[in-house]
Amino acid sequence: MRTICFLVPFVTVMAGPVVGAAIAPADDSTAAKQAQPGWWAVQPPRQVAVPEVEDAAWQAHPIDAFIARRQTQQGLQPAPPADRQTLLRRVSFDLHGLPPSPTQIERFLNDASPDAYEKLIQRLLDSPRYGERWSRYWLDVVRYADTGGFETDIYFPNAWRYRDYVIKSFNDDKPFDRFVTEQIAADQVWPDDIELRGTFDIPPEKKEHLDARVGTTLFTIGPVYHEAALNGHQLRYEWLSDVVNTLGEAFLGLTISCARCHDHKFDPITQRDYHRLMAIFANSCIRDVPVVHKMSEFGYYSAYPLRLRVEQLKSSIQRLDAAVRDRAIDEIKAGFPAEVVAAFDTPRSERTAQQARLAKQIEEAVSEAGLNENAGGGKTELPYQEQERQQRRSLLQQVGEAVLKANFDLPRATVLGRAEVHYPVHIAERGDWRQPGEQVAPGFPSVFNGAGLAALDVSGQTSQPPLARKLLAEWLTSPAHPLTARVIVNRVWQGHFGRGIVATPNNFGLQGEPPSHPELLDWLATTLVEKGWSIKEMHHLIMTSRTYRMSSAFEPTNAQRDPANRFLWRMNRRRLQAETLRDAVLVVAGSLNLEMGGQPVVPPLTKEEQLGMWNLDQWPETLDERQHTRRSVYLYVKRSFLYPMFTTFDFPDSSASCGRRNVSTVAPQALMLLNSEFMQQQAQVFGERLQKDYGDSPESWIEGSWLLGLGRAPTEQEAALAMALFSGSDDLSTTGQSDTLLPLKKLALIVLNMNEFIYVD
Amino acid sequence: MGFHDSWKNAEDAAPCRLVHTRRQGTAKTARQIVMEKLSAPYQFCCKETLVTSRREFLQKAGLGFGSLAASFLMSRDGAATQPSTQTPTQPETASPFAAGMTHVPATATNVIFLFMHGGPSHIDTFDPKPLLTELDGQPVPPSFGAEDFQFTRVAKVPLMASRQKFQPRGESGIEISDLFPQTAQHADKLAVIRSCYHDGFTHVTGQNWLNTGWPRVGRPSVGSWTVYGLGTENENLPAFVVLLDGPIAAGAPVYGPGFLPGMYQGTVLRSDGPPILNVNPPTQLQGEDQRQIMKMLARYNRLHLEQRQEDAELAARIASYELAFRMQASVPELVDLSRETTATEHLYGLDQETSREFGTQCLMARRMVERGVRFVQVYSGGRKGGGGAGWDGHVELVKNHRTMAAQVDQPIAGLLSDLEQRGLLDSTLVIWGGDFGRTPFADGLKESSQGRDHNPYGFTVWMAGGGIRGGKVIGATDEIGFRATEDKIHVHDLHATILGLLGIDHERLTYFTQGREFRLTDIGGHDHLTQRLLAS
Repeated sequence: MRTICFLVPFVTVMAGPVVGAAIAPADDSTAAKQAQPGWWAVQPPRQVAVPEVEDAAWQAHPIDAFIARRQTQQGLQPAPPADRQTLLRRVSFDLHGLPPSPTQIERFLNDASPDAYEKLIQRLLDSPRYGERWSRYWLDVVRYADTGGFETDIYFPNAWRYRDYVIKSFNDDKPFDRFVTEQIAADQVWPDDIELRGTFDIPPEKKEHLDARVGTTLFTIGPVYHEAALNGHQLRYEWLSDVVNTLGEAFLGLTISCARCHDHKFDPITQRDYHRLMAIFANSCIRDVPVVHKMSEFGYYSAYPLRLRVEQLKSSIQRLDAAVRDRAIDEIKAGFPAEVVAAFDTPRSERTAQQARLAKQIEEAVSEAGLNENAGGGKTELPYQEQERQQRRSLLQQVGEAVLKANFDLPRATVLGRAEVHYPVHIAERGDWRQPGEQVAPGFPSVFNGAGLAALDVSGQTSQPPLARKLLAEWLTSPAHPLTARVIVNRVWQGHFGRGIVATPNNFGLQGEPPSHPELLDWLATTLVEKGWSIKEMHHLIMTSRTYRMSSAFEPTNAQRDPANRFLWRMNRRRLQAETLRDAVLVVAGSLNLEMGGQPVVPPLTKEEQLGMWNLDQWPETLDERQHTRRSVYLYVKRSFLYPMFTTFDFPDSSASCGRRNVSTVAPQALMLLNSEFMQQQAQVFGERLQKDYGDSPESWIEGSWLLGLGRAPTEQEAALAMALFSGSDDLSTTGQSDTLLPLKKLALIVLNMNEFIYVD
Repeated sequence: MGFHDSWKNAEDAAPCRLVHTRRQGTAKTARQIVMEKLSAPYQFCCKETLVTSRREFLQKAGLGFGSLAASFLMSRDGAATQPSTQTPTQPETASPFAAGMTHVPATATNVIFLFMHGGPSHIDTFDPKPLLTELDGQPVPPSFGAEDFQFTRVAKVPLMASRQKFQPRGESGIEISDLFPQTAQHADKLAVIRSCYHDGFTHVTGQNWLNTGWPRVGRPSVGSWTVYGLGTENENLPAFVVLLDGPIAAGAPVYGPGFLPGMYQGTVLRSDGPPILNVNPPTQLQGEDQRQIMKMLARYNRLHLEQRQEDAELAARIASYELAFRMQASVPELVDLSRETTATEHLYGLDQETSREFGTQCLMARRMVERGVRFVQVYSGGRKGGGGAGWDGHVELVKNHRTMAAQVDQPIAGLLSDLEQRGLLDSTLVIWGGDFGRTPFADGLKESSQGRDHNPYGFTVWMAGGGIRGGKVIGATDEIGFRATEDKIHVHDLHATILGLLGIDHERLTYFTQGREFRLTDIGGHDHLTQRLLAS
């Protein structure tokens, strides 16, 4: 959320206790709630006619007509169009999350053809950079991460396949209804039922089914509550809670997590509804499936003995260590009377009280010497003899060589499949899985019944258990569904304007913000369906409007009437998001590596940053340095330790769906952008780039830095100001050494810290 | 000071201006402080701006660390635009801080939370169990109930008596073990709550519970809530500071803002290297070089702002750079202990190797409270360089706890003495606790463990200062220290107590998100101890 304050009351003081009074988990309240006719979000989108407005310029594009009518109603004057330079920067950050390159700037500014702007949008939409940018919005919405969080913070070896799947889906302009269906039910809609056909190639349809199924990975990468692993029932209940919460926020735009414990206080979603949604997923399970040809799978198992070799070598080392430890303990024992040694040698459970006391003497000495295995005494090196030391070194080398030969990974995807056991779902009293109440069958929230949607009916299905997810996907993607299309067009709108038509994108409920332009929202939703659920068409539509192309200039009268710019009398000025900021720095400095996809890149951390991490083994820094400057969407998302630069700039915590990020402005951001090792490095690279590619005079460097960083030439005043950096005396750094690059580095750092760099007009 | 001349001021700012209003007797209400802070930047950049954008400015110009008691102002403005949420007869109730900014009279204004990472054993420290000594080595009597633990099946492990010696301390006679001989001398200042409980039996859930009132991640920490409610007294330092001696199991979320805006997060002050992440400019760009960068940047940003007008966010960002610059001066001053006397160093145990590190942290905590930092959290037992488990005595508990206690006892006692002699103890609430307590029976993971497993069903937290009348014991665990039985105090009650002492009604400090109002104490907190702790 950008500014919570004008979206929802920051602190609402209510008459009674805000949270607390238990609500009886009964359906009696539901009828009353359903009777409320007022909830617009459960009515199907209406077919809305484009309004007629006075200003012909605002009539040509349907979106503009909707916007202009509201502007007129509110007594607002639209801002003039943005200039081309501003527009190019806006469009470029919007679709690619990157500033325009000098070449792109020249090309667009010199293109006098009437459709230059449309061509630009098309070019940007056609580039793979687009998917890398827009996937991230969706990844926020589905609380993407590479690990499970909490104490164990388990690693999801195949989460990255889902991330790449999302990027590819956006780049391919996969119809959104298909995108939804794949994530919810690909395995049920497109089962893995196609045979291999006698060649080394996987049949394309089979591969397509497999690719689609990676969509279901979405439901396998939520937070994993460590405690729950002890109890199957709890683990399943926690998993299903995450599934339903994510489903509700991401696809329905409803925050329904509270209905786990009691009926929703504000929306007509009951605890029963919540558990019925759970039941849709209850007969599914998380499963690893190979994503390679059966022949490769055979190859993997054929080479498996090489892994056994590694295990054998490891156990040789362990045996050696155990022998050395035993010898050392024997030496300690030798210093004690026979009686004590005998006590120590008696198995613990057979010792008398007397023996237990005696044995303690040796036990303490052993742990003192760091030899107690149970106490994790591995810190002290064992007292090897020279020959043992050599033997160990040789074994270590053999392990290394065996590891090189062995094949440790059979490429797999982690997806949804059918559970072996048919689990009943009970309404859990107060959301406590230990108190199962009435059993429920799969079903959709009943408030939607009668809104032109069928209730979930599995009677026609022969499969047992029924393919409930398939029905859910069909239900969600029905053109009559009141939420799916509205929710996604609203997200797209928010991506372009910084604020949705519904400003609470994950809450279309009664406590959410009502739409600022309800007719426009419906028009966009129905248009999306008409256009075959194409998201790229939506971008094109929105971006070719005058509304989108307005300047962000301030105007006092408008500001007085609509300070929050709810009715879009101007474009919103927006700060770069964490990833966009990092990517922009990298591309401006000239160090961005555009390689796509694959395992997450684990960026280096400074020593100070590492200090906050519980288990450094869980941060295996990527050793290939060229990988460190890849796009931010590819960086490792570890739930229990998010990349510090990102958290500083409001990266969501990935514990739950995030529909809209905070935009905070705090001093640690300034410190990060001025002093961090990353920024210092990039300023240095940027400085070198200016020196190398942008002439040999301060004037030309200054111009180059403005062009690369800000997409424009500096004004005379700005250039003159920057010249102070090159005025001789400043050639001396504080260390007293002459450094010709220093003024350039300072110049680079200044540009990368400017408000103009961080904010897009 | 407006933004126009703020550069001059920024340069003059070092060393930082200490804010001692409260202690110099010129007590300002939080409302006054807030209004003063508001007036300056507000006049410059939003002269004629409407309520909404003033609010927007407040939130964004949080000047870094939630210095604005934003909740108060937000709700006021919220009330202005949302008249339906209040009753017309009580317009002032729209603000949770209507009566002089706090709901109830505050006895504490600052908090130091000493967190024993790993889970200290209550039955070896502050909760003596004579019956446990008698039953040493025997199975757990069935009357105490069965409960399976992470590594331990209750039916299969013997009870384990404490090897520590307890004795009555002070006039109040509170029994404290020989692990805390120095702290025990302050027994009459302590309110020892022996009946705390929650249900998280791993470190992460225990730490989440104690810090955020919820076992999972995603909720704001008690420090964040406090700052959200009360703001800060020193704009040049973060309002909520966390002192770590190494990484903690639950990581940053336990001092994170959760769903509150980022400005409410705890800032980690490190004992090694730069005290705050990135607070030191790189060697190559210090002094004049950095000053030049900051000056030029400010010029460019002002030129940029002039062309755009009335953008609170851009103005806030300029302000955040000024604060960053001032912090670079005020943080080194804060961590510079060279002016502390030898006597003070001795008091905190800085002259002993074992207690030097935690003593330094405690001394730092006192310096921060002096400078108006609202909430300080000090951890003992974080993991360093991949080893050590803090207070997590699964194996060789005696050795573990003796080592850990030796590190913290003198510093804690020193902190209490020092706060008292400086007149700060009355307004500073000191809290001691950890993830959970430990089991009265042996840990079942390894045969030779000689340790105790985690026990969230009964454990001890003590509080001192902040107006508390000490020398009292509240609640009790059963006869072997397994479960809280008398006067059970849930973590929500502890949090409600902390907020209560700070003058905040835990039910009225709320934040709307995810479709509903959230509060630190969720649906609990009704058994809070605020009045009982204050009573003599």
